[in-house]
Amino acid sequence: MRTGHYKERWSQYVALSDNPTVWAWVAALLAALLIAPVVLDGYSTTLLVSALIAVVGAVGLNVLTGTTGLISLGQAGFLAVGAYTNGVLLVDHHWPVWATLPASGVVAAAVSLVVGIPSLRLKGLYLAITTLAFSFIINHVILYTESVTHGPNGIFVNGAKILGFDVQRGAPLYYLVLGVAVLSVLTALNLARTRIGRAWMAIRDHDVAARVMGIDLVRYKLLAFMVSSFIVGVAGALISLQIRFINIDVFALILSIEAIAFLILGGLGSIGGAILGAIFLSFLPEMIRLAFAMLGGSTASLLGNYLFEIRGMAYGVVIVVFLRWVPDGLIGLWRDIRTYWSNWPLAY
Amino acid sequence: MSALLSLHDVTMRFGGLTAVNGVEFAVQEGQIYSLIGPNGAGKTTIFNLISAVLRPTNGRILFDGRDLTKVPTHTLAHLGIARTFQNLAVFKHETVVNNLLVGMHAHLRTDPISAALFFGRARREEIRARERVEEIIDFLEIADIRDHVVGTLSYGQQKKVELGRALAVQPRLLLLDEMVSGMNQEEREDIARFILDLKDELGMTVLMVEHDMGIVMDISDRVCVVNHGRRIAEGTPDEVSVDPAVIEAYLGSKRGAA
Ligand SMILES: Nc1ncnc2c1ncn2[C@@H]1O[C@H](COP(=O)(O)OP(=O)(O)OP(=O)(O)O)[C@@H](O)[C@H]1O
Ligand SMILES: [Mg+2]
Repeated sequence: MRTGHYKERWSQYVALSDNPTVWAWVAALLAALLIAPVVLDGYSTTLLVSALIAVVGAVGLNVLTGTTGLISLGQAGFLAVGAYTNGVLLVDHHWPVWATLPASGVVAAAVSLVVGIPSLRLKGLYLAITTLAFSFIINHVILYTESVTHGPNGIFVNGAKILGFDVQRGAPLYYLVLGVAVLSVLTALNLARTRIGRAWMAIRDHDVAARVMGIDLVRYKLLAFMVSSFIVGVAGALISLQIRFINIDVFALILSIEAIAFLILGGLGSIGGAILGAIFLSFLPEMIRLAFAMLGGSTASLLGNYLFEIRGMAYGVVIVVFLRWVPDGLIGLWRDIRTYWSNWPLAY
Repeated sequence: MSALLSLHDVTMRFGGLTAVNGVEFAVQEGQIYSLIGPNGAGKTTIFNLISAVLRPTNGRILFDGRDLTKVPTHTLAHLGIARTFQNLAVFKHETVVNNLLVGMHAHLRTDPISAALFFGRARREEIRARERVEEIIDFLEIADIRDHVVGTLSYGQQKKVELGRALAVQPRLLLLDEMVSGMNQEEREDIARFILDLKDELGMTVLMVEHDMGIVMDISDRVCVVNHGRRIAEGTPDEVSVDPAVIEAYLGSKRGAA
């Protein structure tokens, strides 16, 4: 039964979904994702890899900003910490990539305490500014600790192998990123259905009531910082694997804005929304490019020159439009459509 | 018999304003105890002091031998105290079920790692928590709205959700701040019945702030009356309702019994 409340076993209450149709769709999606690099060309696979990395980053930020309500503009900083940890350990210390990926998350989580602890009492705009400042500080630290980070020279990230496969290009990279993305999403979904995720959302919706219900704000806010940054750090490491050369210019402020745009477009607070938003916005520049290419001629070449600016503008427009008119985001639209159809013809 | 909760010379000043002034009273285990008084008398402030949301300027608040003025707010639920708020304090973006599950927080143990894996113990604990929450949902007769997002519910329903969340703490002492305000007569009678059930069936101790004199007189074992931050009377409902100071306070502020 699709809409009823009746359940036969308690375990159904805690299942991610007890609806076979949902599981069938998930299975179909996973199957499609698994065969994608076989049927797609290299360029499309690369796009898909970028989108999946964006999903990991968005799911990570969602823990902090969507679930716990702590607005962060520090995404670029945490991505940089992850990417540099991965690069340094891989290239200078010859760690295997299966160890550098979690290490990137751990270092990012540890660094998150540096911004988390001093900003425990901050909310909203004040926290956003603090995290923004943090991300500039990270840039400077990377630039000036040249002996570790190679400073302005950047790092050529290479030599990442798993079972002999070069996981920095093609299908092996794709499968590694897909695996990490699935793990991140599962982790986020699982946390959300335990006391941990509920404590976070309680803090977001009413922190005094949360405290009275037994939730230690310090502990759960710091935990949100750490879990979020761990996932974002791993996303940073994946970026460094994909692009193979990192310097601080890669981790510009636009990445933080972009990540916030993912969440707002998808629907703040929802894991599904974070995923939808990340995928949609990752493909948006490509869709714009294709649209202009169809117009042909000079507009297309003009666009080629200004793709970066157009991307930034698109994020701005998305944030403004969705905050104002579609506050529940794509996931909210989807829910509305679904209730409309499941109630049809009794709608309204 | 030593009291479950007792206030000793409790004073709270906000700058120049003394909101609570040397208040004393004691609540015995298993009682329904009402705290009443005109608007601005200091009732909610007393609740905020008991629930460690505010720290008193002076005085001690003992619960089961422990001084609540010295414990962190988040340990209250673990000690067995739960409260509702005068102005809604629900988690409005979440479902009714999730709101109630937050109330269970102090009873759950899952650590972040096992939560992320959602396996074995974490899963069993969640299933147990859901069973408890479903019991409360049945008790409060809110099964039809259990999957609704709380922010979309009516005021009265949201208050019921807050009550459910407080019950999920499974407290020894339940603090209810103007539970029935904004409710219609039928909802009010439901709530009065629920409170009596809690006392009779679970032996729960209830301390409530209430403006609805009908409910106060019907179900309270004892009543404390405050005005301008001071206690002006204390006793059984029958005793306080004929107390000249109480009549004066209520008539003086143009607020009669409902
Ligand atoms: N945080 C605060 N800061 C300053 N003044 C406060 C604060 N909280 C309460 N007060 C003041 O303390 C006095 C008592 O307020 P309180 O809310 O305790 O009254 P109350 O008895 O609950 O009234 P009501 O019946 O209207 O709910 C009021 O004058 C109020 O303005
Ligand atoms: Mg009040």
